[in-house]
Amino acid sequence: MSELIRPGYDFHKETHTEPMVINMGPSHPATHGTVRFFLTLDGEIIEQIEVEIGYLHRAFEKECENQFWNGVFPYTDRLDYTAAALNNVGYALAAEKLIGITVPERCQYLRVIAGELARLSGHYTNLGAAALELGALTAFIYFVEARELVWDLIESLCGARLTHNYVRIGGVTADLPEGFAEHAREVFRRNRELWDDFAKLLLKNRIFLDRMRATGGISRQDAIEWGFTGPCLRACGVPYDVRRAQPYLVYGQLDFDIPVGETGDNLDRFLVRLEEINQSIRILEQCLERIPPGPINVDNPEWRQPSKDDIHRDMESMIFHFKNTFEGQKIPAGEVYQAIEGANGELGFYLVSSGAGKPLKCRVRPPCFALTSAMPLMVKGAFLADLIPTFDMINLIGGECDR
Amino acid sequence: MAIGIKKVDSNITLTLWERMYAPEIIRGLYITMRHFTVNLWGLALEALGRRDKRKIMTVYYPEETLTPPPAYRGRPVLVRAENGLEKCVACGLCEVACPPKCIKITGGERENGDRYPLTYELDGGRCIFCGFCEEVCPKDAIVMSAEWRELCEYGRARMVYQKEALLYPQRNLQKRINLIRSRYFGVSRYRGKA
Ligand code: SF4
Ligand code: SF4
Repeated sequence: MSELIRPGYDFHKETHTEPMVINMGPSHPATHGTVRFFLTLDGEIIEQIEVEIGYLHRAFEKECENQFWNGVFPYTDRLDYTAAALNNVGYALAAEKLIGITVPERCQYLRVIAGELARLSGHYTNLGAAALELGALTAFIYFVEARELVWDLIESLCGARLTHNYVRIGGVTADLPEGFAEHAREVFRRNRELWDDFAKLLLKNRIFLDRMRATGGISRQDAIEWGFTGPCLRACGVPYDVRRAQPYLVYGQLDFDIPVGETGDNLDRFLVRLEEINQSIRILEQCLERIPPGPINVDNPEWRQPSKDDIHRDMESMIFHFKNTFEGQKIPAGEVYQAIEGANGELGFYLVSSGAGKPLKCRVRPPCFALTSAMPLMVKGAFLADLIPTFDMINLIGGECDR
Repeated sequence: MAIGIKKVDSNITLTLWERMYAPEIIRGLYITMRHFTVNLWGLALEALGRRDKRKIMTVYYPEETLTPPPAYRGRPVLVRAENGLEKCVACGLCEVACPPKCIKITGGERENGDRYPLTYELDGGRCIFCGFCEEVCPKDAIVMSAEWRELCEYGRARMVYQKEALLYPQRNLQKRINLIRSRYFGVSRYRGKA
């Protein structure tokens, strides 16, 4: 700075500037998910940053210890609330691994369908909000429209737009409603149009590119060391996706691509997510085509929610129903870790059972916690304005990070 | 059948044409104007009374409301059978299954020995619309209605619904009861076929 004015001029000494300490958040418009940044600024350069999380802490793990195994599902909905069904699926898979049951094929397809719809909604929210915070309100509105359409689908399948509570241990609650495939195709057609408009508005936009490119970058090595997963890791060029590394449900039989980036900056993260939307739609179309007929719950009254008919007529089902409701399902003692690919990265559930009707421990590995902890690494020395796109692409979801 | 890897191309370069200010502005305006025209045309259709032909996402609430799909979980309500009595037998399953514990029941007995809920209190301020009560009820006595409008109140105490406020005649809820009965294909049905 000094040489800009005259040789020998020490800007800091002669103007007596000191680093300014400012508080960004917890209710700043850009810190969605409620988080506070404690910034030390030198002019516009970030010297120090402390991220303070925990504003949305609601004792998820303790709450789960007081619920029956099935009663945990509504609470998992509220982890990553932009992609609720994925959390349902993750928890159910972990519990089923502990019991040692596999759900029928149709149910697996249904879980993939619900999960991918949820992933779509998560990505639409994230990308739309990112565009909004860089000033592109119109693009945000287009993706909100796309998200509303996806929510219409989810609503007709799961019964709620946001907190789906769709999956149960040993199955799912509802089969595809009538005409779902046609409705879905209609939605995907419209969403592709909106995707095109969204991409056209942003990807050749100088301002957008300048703010995204080469900001918030992280090297491949650092990303791995900090425990990155999901789109942020793939943007660095590491093709790690749980769906590919350890295929669960029917992902192994489907045909889709894992988008990867190269440089690991915000633009790559953005493009990876944008492409994942297309891939999710591809997965959904295949699933709707191939979904086989059959039962959607395991054939064992101990591990499933019985139908109303069975409660009325089948003695065994009725006894298990009362027992399971009053005492909870007695999942065998043990511990298990199961990871799935959440909208944001590897979403893991670590469950411990003591053989009682309630979990002894239900720990979640939230993908965005690892990403958020690397925030200082990514923005230190950058401009204050770079914090916004970086934080957007980290996609901190308060419900998931703070639990 | 394969999970491939696809490289995204972040090397977006702007051509000279794109770097010139005006053409890009026009291209952007074309996109937004297209959406704008569709919406404007929707307004014209509205004036012409052809609301159904509109291609607008939003609705004119409260004159126009959306009908939720059959699977939708609205406010939980109790079923009043054709004979005017509540179907609930105060078994307490819904009370136990409700995750936020918002149901409180005291059971009573009729002269003929049938059990019924003396009081049934559902705290709408705590209810999370999860549908567990409907799922566990062995009598189809509590179901999630399609009611989602105007559930807000000035104050939490006014959201606590007593039994009378919850009771709905069965014929209004028959569709929902049929739907939940068709859920979870029966074990017995499949056991017979296996
Ligand atoms: S919907 Fe859920 S929270 Fe509401 S009363 Fe029923 S069980 Fe309780
Ligand atoms: S589960 Fe059904 S029958 Fe039992 S108390 Fe609840 S509403 Fe009444």
